[in-house]
Formats: sequence, structure tokens, C-alpha cells
Amino acid sequence: MLKFALKRLLLAIPTLWAVLTIVFVLIRIVPGDPTIVILGDQASEQARADLREKLGLAKSIFSQYIDFMWQIAHGDLGRSLATNRPIMSDVLSVLPYTLELTLASLIVGTVIGVPLGVLAAEKRDGFADWFARVFSLAGLSFPAFVSGILLLIVFSLKLRWFPVISSANLVDPIERLRALVLPALNLGLLMVAYVTRVTRSGMLKALGEDYIRTARSKGLPSRIVVWRHAFRNALVPVVTVVGLYLGVLIGNAVLTEIVFNRPGIGKLIVTALNQRDYTLLQGLMVVTAFAVVLANILTDLTYGLVDPRVKTE
Amino acid sequence: MKRHVIAAAGFLLATLASPAIVPALADTVLNIGMAAADIGQIDPHRATTTQDKPVVSWICNGLVRFKPGSASLEQLEPDLATSWDKSADGKTWVFHLRQGVKFHGDWGELTADDVVYSLKRASDPKTSSFSSDYAVIDSIEAVDPLTVKIVLKKPIPSLLGLVANYHGGNVISKKAAEALGADFRTKPVGTGPFMIAEYKSNESLTLVANKAYFRGVPKTDKIVYRFIPADASRDLAFLSGELDIVYGGQDQRWVDRMAKEPNVKVEVVTPAELSILHLNETMKPLDDIRVRQAIAYAIDRKQLAAFKGAATAIPAVSVVPTGYLGTDETAKLFPYDPAKAKDLLKEAGYANGVVVKSIQTSLPTMLTAAQVVQSQLKKVGIDLQLEVVDHQSYHAQIRKDMSGATYYSAARFPVADVYLRQFYYSPSIVGKPTAVVNFSHCAVADTEIEAASVEVDAAKQKELWKTAQQKIIDDVCAVPLYEQLQVWASKTNVDFGYDFKAAIHLGPVITELTTKH
Repeated sequence: MLKFALKRLLLAIPTLWAVLTIVFVLIRIVPGDPTIVILGDQASEQARADLREKLGLAKSIFSQYIDFMWQIAHGDLGRSLATNRPIMSDVLSVLPYTLELTLASLIVGTVIGVPLGVLAAEKRDGFADWFARVFSLAGLSFPAFVSGILLLIVFSLKLRWFPVISSANLVDPIERLRALVLPALNLGLLMVAYVTRVTRSGMLKALGEDYIRTARSKGLPSRIVVWRHAFRNALVPVVTVVGLYLGVLIGNAVLTEIVFNRPGIGKLIVTALNQRDYTLLQGLMVVTAFAVVLANILTDLTYGLVDPRVKTE
Repeated sequence: MKRHVIAAAGFLLATLASPAIVPALADTVLNIGMAAADIGQIDPHRATTTQDKPVVSWICNGLVRFKPGSASLEQLEPDLATSWDKSADGKTWVFHLRQGVKFHGDWGELTADDVVYSLKRASDPKTSSFSSDYAVIDSIEAVDPLTVKIVLKKPIPSLLGLVANYHGGNVISKKAAEALGADFRTKPVGTGPFMIAEYKSNESLTLVANKAYFRGVPKTDKIVYRFIPADASRDLAFLSGELDIVYGGQDQRWVDRMAKEPNVKVEVVTPAELSILHLNETMKPLDDIRVRQAIAYAIDRKQLAAFKGAATAIPAVSVVPTGYLGTDETAKLFPYDPAKAKDLLKEAGYANGVVVKSIQTSLPTMLTAAQVVQSQLKKVGIDLQLEVVDHQSYHAQIRKDMSGATYYSAARFPVADVYLRQFYYSPSIVGKPTAVVNFSHCAVADTEIEAASVEVDAAKQKELWKTAQQKIIDDVCAVPLYEQLQVWASKTNVDFGYDFKAAIHLGPVITELTTKH
């Protein structure tokens, strides 16, 4: 098990290197100039050139690349071009909010999605199935900013149950949890859609197997047949989706964080992009890439736990 | 078991959904919502964006100040200086400072040294974005702790404007700036009614009242300035009562919608941002003046203003925004005459139409207006090809002289000189080391612009500016389009303490009198 984990980690290194290189190149392909943001639109060309020099943007792309890789290798993300603050501390200060949102959405997605999928497969073409299909289609087709605004209009503006500005009070734990409900629902619903579909199809396949017929003919109660026999066998694809979704959620958190005014990695990415803050953007991409790779490794490790047939050696 | 889970979940939801406990109503807190993801630069000598400038106006004073609610240089009033004298030649100015003014926190009392330091800092390109405005200053010195003497290289249109509470005129604490170093950019220290208490990046900036403010203890205890980039969320937060004042952008539909809400007051304020189509005189086919004239004749300013909305936009009057010191409010612009435009094109050899390239921002408020211009030009056979890129790329590319027709909106310090110098003066042509925003390569009014800046006689100076504007219009360096007013909304219980008609700082000034009833 340990050996397997180590091997996976080692394999992650070339992946990360490739991702970092792509990030570095992509960011520099995007046209734009951070000096306009920093100096304002009335500054002279001379002042801009001086600033570019100072920020190290005047160096050749290749030496910027070497500097970048050298820094990352030393666990240093550098300083933000726009604010000059260390990027690591900026990222660490918002990371808990993104993790909190991602985990909450993951729970929402799994807790609603899995039972809905099982129910849909069990009562195939019945009401539950129809509902699950419509619901997941709706979930897939609603962009997060539309569903987010709808949630806000209903629950914050009309019913006044939850705040519009999620970041208004993050010190009080109850308030913080209250502010998490709508964003987690919004982000989680997207995942419910996928999880429901995967669970449903996995369950349909499992329920058609011979051993299910055997179990049923033994006279086992339906609940045991469905959950203990069929569901365990349908779990691997579900775990895959949930695991992959950890990465997707971090990416999708951007929209949800903006609509609900939550601090987080996503919101920081947008700020960095708008300000052409290359170093901050790079730092954020690095952190996100690490998170996705880590999520994938965790998923691989979970397979072994869920299904003993998957060998980790 | 199932039932317990449901009951527990229900209880949890009920607890979470119950309205928050209202804190004791001891403090007056103003919640202000801004359309930005974060502050840009709140160092007073660096702040240029819409989200930054209002903050500086709450923190800092100048030697003189714009009367709250006014954006006119004609209505400047004493601020940190109680009085001033100027020499007969207009070159030497002596300011007498107010006694006993304290900086925020423990940064001590204001002296002439701080004023000298601030103005020198504003003149230095390494520390200021406005240094070129101050290049005219020859020397600044502290005569005694309460007297500052400024000597100019030449007399200028409005020295008081340079020492007002605006851009480089904001006075900061020398001790604080030196001690805080790089941190000063997020913790500027001034003498104003509010001081920075807490900055949460990407979230909010909290300011608290400066109890030692020289005009009296502010009636508002705290300002929470929230960065809410999503328009819909910002509006919802305002309507749900989580914000007291909200930035409305420049949108007529927004004005109409908000005006219908109960307890909401919509304010449409000056100064206007002038939108102009700059025509690159060095690029084909715009190097032919007949093509440029055709564009000028083909544009219907009234239709553009109507498109942007009757309450929020007005047709442009000149190549300088209306209301500035020196704007020619009766400049002879090209009338809307599509037939004439077609004739001119034919004359220039483009009877079958002509293509003009334009790099255009994807920012919706600017893009939609550019599309109206595009359709107006299409009617006479000019194909304005918009190459739409994101806003930052647009800013970068137009400065590399890549655009034929450049649609640009801007407000500047309200003196014609600044606008003329940045947009139509040859040293400001894009690509030059001294470049600012002269996208058209306009150089027809250099003589008048230079002469006006040293002219002592106010009437003669205005005459020179007027000539300059007419020359620029006639050469069609640029076609003025429309002027866009700014929109804010506040809850009716917010009392600014003055009539909020104008916002030179691009947002409401929160003074010691501003409060919530």
C-alpha cells in the first residue's frame, strides 16, 4: 500500500512539471501588461519600462522560466506583482475557505446523488427515475452563476434565511456555517447531477447480474440486495467520479465564490487574471494543480478500500 | 434512526436559517458595495481606478479641497491650508497651514515638512502616477512649521488644483510613509475623517472614524467597503439591506430598475466620462482626411446618447469633456450628415466601401457603444472591424499603436490642459518614450497647448484652448461621441451631509457629517 502510494507520488512529478510549464507559457501568451494596472492609465511609457525592469519582466522568457522552476522547487511561490505580498501567505489565507466549500459540496453531491441514483435504478422508469433524470439534466444545464443567483433571490432576498454576502461574518462559527449553506448547495447540485447518473447506470448494470437474481431467489430482503450486493459492486465508478470531482469542484468554485462573495482560490484567480498579476496567477495554478493531482492519488488509493479486487501492490 | 436523522437535519437547518442576532445599535456602520474584486492601489499618489479613488478621499486632505459634492475647480475651499498668497507673476505661492491637525493613530501632528514631503513624493515618477502634473514645480520648501512655499518654473492654469485633495495633492504623513515602506500601499496614513482599520484582500476594507479629525468627530463610526465584482450579487446585497450605498456603473436600465425599489435613492453624478473615437492618422485608410471627415459626418451623437440612456448619457460637446476649465462648450462639431459622408468616401476613392480596424475591449459598457458606432458607420459604407479582446489586452495593444480607430472613455483632472496634453499633444503619441494616450498621432494643436499652459491671462488662455479644440476637431484626430455620467444608489436613510451631485473622486465623499438615520 505504502509502496503503491509512493509510486503514484513519483509519477505525479512529471505530470506536475508538464502542468507548470504549460501554466508558465499560457500566462505569457495572454496579452496584457501588469504595468497598466499598477501605474494607472496616465503613466508615461518610460515609467512603465522602468517598472517592467524592476519586476523582472524585462528578462528573457527563458531566464524567467528557470527562475520560476527554481523557486517552485524550493517551495517558494514568490511575491505578487500587484501587491508585493508573499503569494504563499495569500493562498494559505483563502485556502481554508475553498477547502471548506469543496468538502461541503462534495458531501451535498454524494449524500443526495448516491441515494437518488440507487433509487432511480431500483425503480427504473418509475417516478423516482424520471425525477432523477430531469433533476440531473437541470443540474447539468444550469450554469453556476444562474443557479447561484436564483438561490440568492429565493433564500436570501425573499425568505431572508441566509446572507447575500457570505464573507460578512466569518468569525462566528454559526454565521460561517450559515453562509456556507447556499454556496455548498449551488456547487453541490452540479455534482449531484453527475453522481446520480453514474450511480444509476452502475446500479442498473449490477442489478442485472446473476448473483443479484441468486440473492433475490434466496429470499433476501430487497434493501439488503440493493445496498449490500448491488451497490458495493457499483461503487468503483462512483468513487472515480467523486474523486475526479474534487478537482472539478476546485475549478468550479470560481463562479460560486464570486456569486456568493466568498473569499477563496477561485476569486483570487479572477483578481490575478484581471490585474495580469503573473506571479500570483502562477502560484494559484501551481496550488490547484497540486490539489488535483493529490485528489487523483487519493481516489486511486480508495479503490483498494472499496473493492478488494483492485490490487494496490 | 431515519427519523432522528431527519429531525436533526431539520433542527440544524432551522437554527442556521433563523435570522442573525442583531448587534447592539451603538455604532453607525456604512456598508458600501463596489464593483471590483479587490483594491488596486490605495497609496494616494498611485490610486487611479474607480474603486481606489473614493477611499483616498475618506483618508486624506489636501491644502485645499473640492467642496464635497462638487467637481468644480471654481469651488475649491480651504482644507489643511487656511489661507494662501501668490506673487504678482503667479510663480510663487505661500500656504499657511491649519494649526493642531493630527495624523491618524500615533503619527503625530501635521507640519509643513509633511506637506513638502508629500508634494515631492507626488512629483517623483518612482513613487507617483501623477508626477508629470508636478513637473512644473521648481521648489517646495517649509518656511516654518506652518508655512509652505512653492515656486513654479512658469505660471500654470490651476496651481490650487495641484494641491487639492485629489491625486498628487493628497497630504500624507512623512513619518508613516518612511516607517511603513512597502506596507504604506495598503495602510496609507493621512489626516482625513476616516482611517484604515483592516484590509482583507479580495473581500473588504474597513475604515474607522478618526476621532481627532479637525472638522469634528465623524458621525459615522465605521465604513465597510466591500468588493463585490458580480453585478447581480451586489444588487441583491443592496436590496437585502446588507449594503447602504452601492456602485451602479453607468447603466440606464439599472437606474430605471433601482428607482422603482422602495427606500432607494439613485444618484446620477458628474464628472462625466467622455467617450471618443480616436482615428490613427498614420494608418491607412485613415491617413486620408476625407475618410476621417466621412466618419465624423456618419456619427450620430444624439442616437448614441439615447442608446446609453437619457438619464445617464449626454451628447459630447467637444474633444474635451464638458464642464472642465477651458472646455469649448460651443465647439463646431461635424453635424450628422450621412449623405455628405458617402460623397467624401467616393471622393477619396472608396465608393465601394472601406475597412477600418479597431481593437476593442470586451467590457460590455464599452463594447455595446462601439457596436452602435459600428452600425452607424456601416450605413455609409464604412466597415468598422472590431477585434474584441479582454480589457487588459485592449489597454496593452492600443498602446502599441496597433489600432486604427480606438474607442476610449476617460475623465481627467477638470482642466482642459490635462486632457489636451494627454490625448492630442505630440509628445504623448503612443510608441514614444513620453507616450500617454495620444492614439491618433494628433499634432495639430501643439503650439496652442504649449502657449495656453504658460498664459497668465485667464481669458487669453481660454481662447487658446478653444482654438486648440477646434483645430483638433477640424483635423478629425478624434470624433467625440457621448458623455457618460456615473451612477450610485443609496438607501434613503443615508444622509451624506451635502448634496451628492458630483464625484470628482468617482464615488461619494464620506465626510464627518455623513450618517445613517
